[in-house]
Amino acid sequence: MTSSASAWSILIDLGRSALQWFVGWQRILMFSARLLVLALSPSTYRGPYLVALSRHLVKDTAPILLWFTLMTAIISLVIIHIVVVTSESYGLSRYALEMVVRVLVLELVPLTAAMFVALRCALPNAAEVAALQARGALEAPSAGSAEPLRREILPRVISGTFSVLLLTTVSCVVCAVLAYLWVHGFTAGGLPSYTRTFGRVFSPAVSLIFTLKTLGLGLAVGLIPIASVLYDRPRHQLRASAELRGLVRLFFMILLIEVGSLVGNYL
Amino acid sequence: MSDEPTPALRTSESLELRAALLVGLLLLLVAAAGVYLLYARGVFEPSQRLVLLSDDAEGITVGMDLTFAGFPIGRVRRIELSAEGATRIVIDVPRKDARWLRESSVFTLTRGLVGNTNLRAFSGVLSDPPLADGAERRVLVGDATAEIPRLVSETRDLIANLTQLTKSDSALAAALGNVQNATERIKGPRGALGVLFGNDADAQKLVTALDRTNALLARIDGMAVKADQQVFGAQGLMPEARAAVVQLNSALLEARESLKKIDAILVDAQAIAGNARSASNDLAALRSEVDANLRKVSGMIDELNRRWPFAKPTEIKLP
Repeated sequence: MTSSASAWSILIDLGRSALQWFVGWQRILMFSARLLVLALSPSTYRGPYLVALSRHLVKDTAPILLWFTLMTAIISLVIIHIVVVTSESYGLSRYALEMVVRVLVLELVPLTAAMFVALRCALPNAAEVAALQARGALEAPSAGSAEPLRREILPRVISGTFSVLLLTTVSCVVCAVLAYLWVHGFTAGGLPSYTRTFGRVFSPAVSLIFTLKTLGLGLAVGLIPIASVLYDRPRHQLRASAELRGLVRLFFMILLIEVGSLVGNYL
Repeated sequence: MSDEPTPALRTSESLELRAALLVGLLLLLVAAAGVYLLYARGVFEPSQRLVLLSDDAEGITVGMDLTFAGFPIGRVRRIELSAEGATRIVIDVPRKDARWLRESSVFTLTRGLVGNTNLRAFSGVLSDPPLADGAERRVLVGDATAEIPRLVSETRDLIANLTQLTKSDSALAAALGNVQNATERIKGPRGALGVLFGNDADAQKLVTALDRTNALLARIDGMAVKADQQVFGAQGLMPEARAAVVQLNSALLEARESLKKIDAILVDAQAIAGNARSASNDLAALRSEVDANLRKVSGMIDELNRRWPFAKPTEIKLP
């Protein structure tokens, strides 16, 4: 009798958790849709909103751009060296460049940029939003007004997304150049074959998947942490904070996007 | 708190300019990457089409290279099935590289044990007419892995045969045992003869036959010496034959002289015969003259008889 009651309560708890999980994702999706509509509205990029957006773009991207590019360049050199030496030792040096492009440009750099921006910008932004919400600074002056979203939320979301896109693009270009220089040296003689290899790797399908993946990672990094702190109400029975739960949601989404891109590219 | 501008971000114009620079940098990089990718994919390069026909498209992927002498000169654009069920590999060849492809070019598809499948073009005669746009060619397939099942099957058969051969009761083992037995018998008193004949009695017969053959040869040798003396000795056949030949030569000379004389006689006889022939021709004229004279004499006698007084009257009595 007692055991059946405890099993029943466990089932009820599991069902409640699953329901809350789905409700949370549904709120995040609805919030993302509202923000996207605002982001596509021209009035968002005028007057004080433009100043706030510019401030967040510069603050979230400029300080980490150089450091992240340098860090990516160093790690890329190590990986390029490992791949090239290993390929040569197995007599497969003709595939080294293709492997470097696939491993670094297609997979590692976007993932690293997303994780770096999430930890460096998105989570602090989410913490700021949580603090603003706690102070009541996000209360709308009138019902249905989007002014707090435009002034405080949207610039942070756009800056997070933009930061991921810019860091990914710059790092991919740097990695591609480093891979060429490492394999061919400072000469233009290998450019035709390198260009051909690049064209072979970036088929239309792969290019589309790469673009969608980068956009998806940017949106996930910009949206999910802030949406989590806004819509995950603090509950005393949960041990984890809203920021931590947002981070888990973000990693879960990044994992989904990465798996989806791998499936699209290689299956 | 965080809304307070830092000293570096004090003015909105400066903020907007820096943000615009960052956005511009992103757009520039994305546009440059897009153009480079389009160039790498050969979008800006005029190309011609080549269709390779094969029975099997395994290992061929869209985007893989067609190489000539190790250099990529084309790229697989599409793979499709024809109405006959053959595989059509549609390849874009840039115009500047199409000069390596000729009407007599041969195309091969090789699948290695490790690594990619390779499409290769071989042009033996570069003076042939260039390959036309949209040309269809049969591709020759050289598959290293296709030989493996046959190789494994044959190797299995070979190993089975070897196993059969090396068994203790196999024919090879029995043959080797016999060889060993034979070598031991060769080492024996009769040697190889004993092995050949199988028993000592027959081997002894052969030895005896060899001895008798040797004796016979010695006797034949003596007979040959005597025959030599009979034929080539001082009183042998050969000197007498030589003398007979000399005499025969002198007899032939005499016969030749006699024949010359006979020739002269024959010439004379031929002249006499000619004279006789001409004489016989004159004899005919002489005979005709004699006949005429005799008829004249006969007429004259008849005339004399008529005029003569004792001439009897000519009376004709009718029955």
